[in-house]
Amino acid sequence: MKENKNISGFKTPENYFESFEERLFSKISEENFPKSTGHKVPDGYFENMEDRVLKTVINSASAPGREKPTKVISLFPKKYFGYAAAIAASLIIGFTVFNTETDNSSLDSLQLAAIDTYIEDGNLNLDLYDLTSYINDEDFNDLNLDDRQFSETTLENYILENLDEETLINEQ
Amino acid sequence: MVEEQELVTALQTEADKEFAFRELVSQYKERLYWQIRNMVLDHDDADDVLQDTFIKIFRNINSFKGDSKLHTWMYRIAANESITFLNKKAKRNNVSMEKVKDNALRNLESDVYFEGDQLQLQFQKAIATLPEKQKLIFTMKYFEDHTFEELSAILETSVGGLKSSYHIAVKKITEFIKTQDETL
Repeated sequence: MKENKNISGFKTPENYFESFEERLFSKISEENFPKSTGHKVPDGYFENMEDRVLKTVINSASAPGREKPTKVISLFPKKYFGYAAAIAASLIIGFTVFNTETDNSSLDSLQLAAIDTYIEDGNLNLDLYDLTSYINDEDFNDLNLDDRQFSETTLENYILENLDEETLINEQ
Repeated sequence: MVEEQELVTALQTEADKEFAFRELVSQYKERLYWQIRNMVLDHDDADDVLQDTFIKIFRNINSFKGDSKLHTWMYRIAANESITFLNKKAKRNNVSMEKVKDNALRNLESDVYFEGDQLQLQFQKAIATLPEKQKLIFTMKYFEDHTFEELSAILETSVGGLKSSYHIAVKKITEFIKTQDETL
């Protein structure tokens, strides 16, 4: 091919021509796709949605800051709290001093596998947004991310076994 | 229409919150609904997910720091809620994701809220074969006309990655429709 005599100064993004056909053919195929989904909604569905959503939001009991203050009637009058606290404290001290046996009811005794299954079964209904509401910026700073958790060979093996071409293309 | 920044400020002020939220719902209900509907297919499911999305927005608005645009943040919540919903549905019925998709498609044929013709049904079937993330990218780009730049902010993926993902989706859909036509 003859080389251009004058240079315009324009340039194209990297790999523009390499991927041109792919983009062109995809555009041509797209032309044949239906233009709408075919879905419809019940009549009047979008009307008054504001009211319905607000009602649900306000009714959802656990919405923080939405609970109305309710008058609390104490089951035990406050004056007995002192005695109760004193008795409880002496019981705890007595228990810790005299009970030398190891305590098996701690979290450690819960089998890790049981916790895994619990989470995998979807019983822990937390998603990203719920989680982030429990975490503040300081927690992130305190996080000690150990980047040497997996050895290079382990990572390499994992990638070889689990990654297919498509993922690679998608993530490039 | 109230400007987005004003809306955020009002939403984060206790006294104006309810009024601002009403405005927010009215501005975004249809766009979020269609994004969700394209993922879950069934109208009642879409309604549930839409409600959950708005509840999540309402509850978390105080922690919204403005690192992204408000609407970007909302689309992201709707996307996550849709995928979480589909996963939960599969878990609840103790079936695979594939089975959930099959059922949703089968129901589509008799759905009173689906008025698509044979080609549109075929198209929905083809879209359903895509992996969740690709399906999200394809439907948000094709039906809702988001730009790749917007999608990149919503889905936190590079523009290049999105483009190739979209083209792969188009290719898969074309091939699916072609093989279906041949077997007919």
